[in-house]
Parts: sequence; C-alpha cells; structure tokens
Amino acid sequence: MITFENVSKTYPNGTAGLRNVNLTIHEGELVVIVGSSGAGKSTLLRSINRLNDISAGEIKVNGKSVTRATSSELRRIRRDIGMIFQSFNLVKRSTVLRNVLSGRVGYHSTFKTMFGLFPKEDVELSLHALERVNIREKAYIRSDQLSGGQQQRVSIARALAQEARIILADEPVASLDPLTTRQVMDDLKRINQEMNITTIINLHFIDLAREYATRIIGLRAGEVVFDGTPAEATDQVFAEIYGRPILQDELLGVGGVS
Amino acid sequence: MKLDTDTLQRPISSRIRFWVIAALMIAIYYWAIQGMQFEGLQKTAGSVSKSILTGFLHPDWSFVYIPEGEDLLRGLLDTLVISILGTVVAAVTCIPFAFWASSNMSRQWAVSGSGKVVLSIIRVFPEIIVAILFIKAVGPGSFAGVLALGIHSIGMLAKLYAETIENIDPGPEEALLACGANRLQVLRYAVLPQVIPQFLSYSIYRFEINIRSATTLGLVGAGGIGTPLIFALQVRNWNRVGIILLGIILLIILTDLVSGWLRKRII
Repeated sequence: MITFENVSKTYPNGTAGLRNVNLTIHEGELVVIVGSSGAGKSTLLRSINRLNDISAGEIKVNGKSVTRATSSELRRIRRDIGMIFQSFNLVKRSTVLRNVLSGRVGYHSTFKTMFGLFPKEDVELSLHALERVNIREKAYIRSDQLSGGQQQRVSIARALAQEARIILADEPVASLDPLTTRQVMDDLKRINQEMNITTIINLHFIDLAREYATRIIGLRAGEVVFDGTPAEATDQVFAEIYGRPILQDELLGVGGVS
Repeated sequence: MKLDTDTLQRPISSRIRFWVIAALMIAIYYWAIQGMQFEGLQKTAGSVSKSILTGFLHPDWSFVYIPEGEDLLRGLLDTLVISILGTVVAAVTCIPFAFWASSNMSRQWAVSGSGKVVLSIIRVFPEIIVAILFIKAVGPGSFAGVLALGIHSIGMLAKLYAETIENIDPGPEEALLACGANRLQVLRYAVLPQVIPQFLSYSIYRFEINIRSATTLGLVGAGGIGTPLIFALQVRNWNRVGIILLGIILLIILTDLVSGWLRKRII
C-alpha cells in the first residue's frame, strides 16, 4: 500500500510540481496516471521511490515513511520497488542477463557485488524473469542488439528479478511503436494480475489508460483532479483533465489485438 | 532583401580580416627571425652530412645481437618494457584522478574543478624533465623511466578518462539507484561497464605515445634504447646510429599495428 499525505513539491525555480496530493494506492491495483505534459505525472511517480524529494507532506510505502527514511532504509525500500523508464535505462554494452542481474545488487553486500559474481539462484531467477517476458533466448546477447520493445521487456525482467512488490513505469511505451506498445502493456498487465504486483504507470495515450487500468488518476497542474475507474473516465472527464478537448495524437488508435 | 546585403557585405569584411591577419603574421615572422643568430654553416657541414648518410646506408648489423649484452635487441626490449610498465602504472593510477576531475561524479563544482587543475599541472612537465627528476630521486636506469612515463601519462589519460565519464548515459545510474543500489554499486554496475572499453582504448593509444617517448628517455639515462643511441652519437659512430634508428622505426611500426588492431577489437 502506498499513501500520499498532503504531498507538495515546489521546484527551486518556484514552479509547483505537486499540490497537496492525498492518495491511497492498494496492493494489486494497476493505476494509470494521466495528464498533459508538465502536469506532474513524473514528479508524482518518482517521489514514490524518492528519485525526487518532496517539499511537504509524507509518502509511505507499506507503512514505512519514504520521506523520512535514512539512506540505508531508503535503499531497503527501493529494493522492493521496480522502476521502468521511457528510455529503458539499460547498460547497452552489457548482456541482457547482466542487466537483469543488476536488479539483484540490493540483496547483497557491497563487497560481494564489487566482484560482479552472483549466486546461481540469482542467475536462475533472472533467466526465469526473462522467460516471463518471452525473451529468455536473448539472455546472452548484448542489450543494444535488441529492438526497443525487447529492451523495455528486459527492463521489466530487471524489475521482476528484483522481486519487486511494486512496479513504477514512467511513460514505458512513449518511445515504442503501436504494436510493441501493446505487447509491453500486455506484459505489465499480465505481471500485475499473475503476481499481484502493484503497478503504477504514467501514460499519455488515453485509450490505453482506459483499456489497461483498474484505476485512473488525472493530474492537472500538480493537483489530483480525477480519481476513478476507467468506466467513469469519459471523454468529458479527460477533456477536463487536459483542460481542452482530446487530440487525435493522444489516442494510440490500434484496436485490441487479442 | 536581407540576404542580398549580407552577400554583398561579407567579402569586404572578410578581405579586411585577411589582410590584418597577414600583416600580423609577417610582423611575427620578422620579429622571430630577428631573434635568431645565424652565423653561417660550419666548414665541415658537407663532409659530416655525407658520413652521416653513408653511416645510415651501411648500418652496423653486428650490433643487432651481441651475446654479452648491451645490444640492439635488448635495448629495444628494455624500451618496450619501460613503456608497457609506464602505461600500466598510469592507466591504473589515473582512475581515481579521473573520477575526481569529472563534473558528473561530484555535486560541488569546486571538486571537479580542482581535479582538472591538478591534471593540467601534471601535464605541464615534459617526460624528459620528469625523467631527470626521477633519476635524481631513484637513480639512473629503467625504473626511473617507468616512473617518469607513468606520472606524465596520468595527466593526459586522466583527462581523457574524465571526459569519458562525463559523456556516459545517466539512465543506467538512475535505474540502479531505483533498484536500491548504493553509490559504489552504482559505480560498479552502471558507470564502469560504460567506461571500461573506452579506458582501455585510450590506454593503448597512450602506449603508442609512450613507446616513442621511451626511445628518448635513455638520452638522459632513464634506460632503454636511448642510452646506446646517445653513446653512438657522441663518438660519431654513424653506422651504429643507423642500425639503432632502424630498430626504433621497426619497433614503432610493429607496436602501432598491434595496438591499432587491439583498439579496433575493443570498441
């Protein structure tokens, strides 16, 4: 469970990133956060694992305060939170397996990890994670040899190998084509359902949000202006979140494949 | 219309700049020539040049291998060893300097700034000067040569390493942080894999430079092929100078070929 209590964020230059956000996200939910660019989607997501600090309020993950955690407590909390980025953030020169294994470093002492050797169980766990996203056969290939969609699946496997209980995905499909977008979203949805991993995704395609989410949160200028089920999120509601009618490029436009 | 006036004006201004620069260059050349004292050629210039040339054309092949030692092969081997050891010393010791001097590894600007200043100071001294300093400190011989090359190379290698570190993709660092990695683990899993191949490539390139420097280190007594070279030069044994220079050329061509091949494999 993730709770936001009166969370605000003001950037050094004075712009408000988040304004008095109060949210409770329960285990197993698949939350999609929508809003126009600059509405604070990334800020909200990145403050959950404190890649961004907040200015006021408190965020708790499973009862533990992220805001007031010491650096070692924070690392312990982060270990249980997988993160997926728009630009995949893999070490391109390293093999796929190496990238997935790097998700395990939080479980071992600094001294042990410096040698780059991982126990056999970690390797098996990583291979199993790759199997879950259907790219087990790519394990020993350099990451930059893979397509964008495959690279994003490697980063999902990294979060799985981490044995994360929460996955945060910051625009995971923004640099992918429509077809791979759907494959990556299907992977995220399947993992959310099969492993009951709480998943929070930032998206700017509103039809994708409606299709995959169990709950949609709308942000506008750092404020939560909508919080409800996909059925409640009508075109009218989206127009209010964006402060203008929906544009064509906010729809992915490819109907369900499966 | 604005385009037209531009094309009309540009030739005039650039012509003025051309003549100003030309006048400045002529003034500088004149000043430099004034400063040089030229007292004509030595009377023996012709005959000495001829004997140097015949010496080069008839290299002293017997110097290539002498069973008792102090021959060409051992001198070249000595030079090779000095440059390999010097490069390894530099390639390892410059890593902390590189992290110190790269601006994305520390939050304060002053930290990386001071690192960059220290590196430029190291780069100021030519290796011959460093070699003479080390000869005074540890005595003449190959060890002084290794230290001189090692210390001098740190200046350049650490600067190149630091630039490599500054140019890495910050994405993996963020991903590792988000996994719960600490600073050292981020360094080990996100930074090092990105920079190590480039580090190796730069070190091999520096090795190419070092083998050239190592041939001259012997001139001041820091070991290697330079020592027999300076002796041969002093007694005007041109045949021996010829074979030594030939050996140096061959050694440098060979190492360039090998290191070029290696660098292509790494990147």
